[in-house]
Amino acid sequence: MIWEVFRQEKPGGYHTHCGNVHAPDAEMAKLFAEVQHGRRKPTNSLWVVPQPEIAEVDAEDTTFGGTTDKSYRWAMTYTGVDASFAEEVAESQREQETADREREEVTAGGNS
Amino acid sequence: MDIETVKERAAPRAFSPKDDMPEEYRKAATRMIQFHANSEIMGAYLERPFIRQAPSLDRKLAFSAKVQDEIGHGQLLYRAAESLGIKTREEMLEELATGDGKFLNCFHYPMEEWVETPMIGFFVDGAAMRRQATLKRSSWEPYAHAMDKVCFEEGFHVKHGEDILRELATGSRAERERLQEAFETWWPRIIQFFGPTDDKSTHHDFASEVGLKQLSNDELRNAFLNAYIPKAEKYGLEIPEEPRIRKRDDGTYRVVEDDLDWDEFFTVAKNDYEGSHVQIGKRHDTQEAVEWVRTVLDEHEQTSMGTAPAAAD
Amino acid sequence: MSVIDHLSGPEDLAPDEREAVETLLYRLADDEFVLAERYTEWQVRSPTLESDLALSNIAQDELGHARLWYDLLEDFGHEEADLLWERDPETFTHSTLVELPFESGDWADPIVRSYLYDEAEHLRLQALEDSSYPRLEDRVGKVQGEERYHREHATNWLERLASTEEGHERVQTTLDRLFPHALTLFQPVDPEIEARIDEYGIRTQSLDALGQQWLETVVPFLESLGLAVPIAEDGAVTADDLPETIGRDANHTEDWFDLYEEFTYTYHDLGRDSAERIMSDPDDQ
Repeated sequence: MIWEVFRQEKPGGYHTHCGNVHAPDAEMAKLFAEVQHGRRKPTNSLWVVPQPEIAEVDAEDTTFGGTTDKSYRWAMTYTGVDASFAEEVAESQREQETADREREEVTAGGNS
Repeated sequence: MDIETVKERAAPRAFSPKDDMPEEYRKAATRMIQFHANSEIMGAYLERPFIRQAPSLDRKLAFSAKVQDEIGHGQLLYRAAESLGIKTREEMLEELATGDGKFLNCFHYPMEEWVETPMIGFFVDGAAMRRQATLKRSSWEPYAHAMDKVCFEEGFHVKHGEDILRELATGSRAERERLQEAFETWWPRIIQFFGPTDDKSTHHDFASEVGLKQLSNDELRNAFLNAYIPKAEKYGLEIPEEPRIRKRDDGTYRVVEDDLDWDEFFTVAKNDYEGSHVQIGKRHDTQEAVEWVRTVLDEHEQTSMGTAPAAAD
Repeated sequence: MSVIDHLSGPEDLAPDEREAVETLLYRLADDEFVLAERYTEWQVRSPTLESDLALSNIAQDELGHARLWYDLLEDFGHEEADLLWERDPETFTHSTLVELPFESGDWADPIVRSYLYDEAEHLRLQALEDSSYPRLEDRVGKVQGEERYHREHATNWLERLASTEEGHERVQTTLDRLFPHALTLFQPVDPEIEARIDEYGIRTQSLDALGQQWLETVVPFLESLGLAVPIAEDGAVTADDLPETIGRDANHTEDWFDLYEEFTYTYHDLGRDSAERIMSDPDDQ
């Protein structure tokens, strides 16, 4: 059976997918994952998840975030007002700009 | 883990569901996060009529998206609260519908006109965002993670709110006058958003000792006033004479708290204000009306759970 | 494949061509707008937080589609103000299916309504993919791109609702009530203009043909869920199957006029004479 492995690098961080292992059960999967995926990269915690339990929807199935203009959802659309007066608003806008740019890169050639 | 160890180790994102946290911590965190989650839902009740009443297609879209986000924030926050193992999401939603769940003071008041929408959309959301940014450093990791996503989205809310404010403030004379009126009605409630000064706040000490929250009510209110008073002035809004707000030598503000109606505040906090009954009644009725759907989903889940493992083998 | 020549851009259309294009666009835009307006009633009122987010998203999709179709009407010199906010409510040509109000808690309604509507929407967009009117072309693809989710959402919900006794009963009651109104989706605004829409190749399938295809899709699916579709055995639709008011001919139920009052309230209350834009023009994207 295949187990997908998610690694958290530091306490308080997110578990992100880093690979998988073949193992007969969860106990063995943890033992194998510890060595295969945690022996060099900084690791605070690993999750192992049975692969058949994972359901997936991907960019072939759908266009995440839609195919029509949804710019009303984004801070940077509101150009008549300025985010810089409050650091947390400005930071949110920067994060949204990055997400929007990365999203466009992913969907480039698709339904953009 | 005993409470002394918790205090020693308290740091941003220090504790997660796999830590054996003392009940006192789990209860305090549940109280705080449940309050936050409830507030997202109840705020959405105030704003939802303005999806319909928005005066342009684009504003309608933005309002719908904003209300949608608030429900999304509720979803994230109830999960963060649920992970403390004290209450399930269902229990917390039930408490909200029966009037046992508490939520932000501002959402106990009716909002009836479009000119009022920036009071929530800009000022209250702005205040909330100030607070939420500091909670990214909460010691309960799932709460801090929820804040990452909430803050990521919230920049749109505040700018959308300010954009409506800008439009009204540069609109007709009638619009400007009604805007000022709305501001005067909401301003004291907005100031009270942060609660009473620290020494009167019952839960602050513990929550800050165990790292659940980072800044005190007073510090947050100051941070809010520093950024938002200039904004109000920029749009030609006159700050009401009461509550009196004094500028200290270091440029920060002090609010004369005796000018605020704390009896009303504490009545609101107990869900006992006139508007509390109206708002909670709405929640109760809408929750109950769709109870049958949740029963159908549960039934379906039971049936498919019964067959799923066989299918997986 | 079309044997019909392409129509020119909006500025060079002959008057009866323009009338045909406008009629088609109003049908599309009004349906999407009014349906979305109704969907938003479920915001903060849906059965679970997750289902709330999903239906809100569908509402926004449909509003976005309305925005694209209304924008094409702006080619003819219209503005948002006269397309929506200052328009006579007696000139809207949406189907009555989309204007009916929801009963509190009747979640079967938005699901059945969405199923019936989105299957029809899918077919009518297909009939626009090779439209002779060039301005429709790129927009049809974008709109169609969001319809898959709508249809999957509706069918998945229907399957689950219909799998329990109470859910099944509620879906059946809703279906009985909504089905006649869904038939109005294929009714003409004006038979003569609809014939011209077909003749000019603006739409590559007639309303009758679309209605027939729709029945061939929805009837078997609904029956597979053990539901009885209120229609004659041979599938023939007669005037008796239609509701009293059909919407398409600009006759509407009282509920529409109430809805219109509500959504135009602020615009009039503030004495506005134009609608504020946030997003850029679809043509500048």
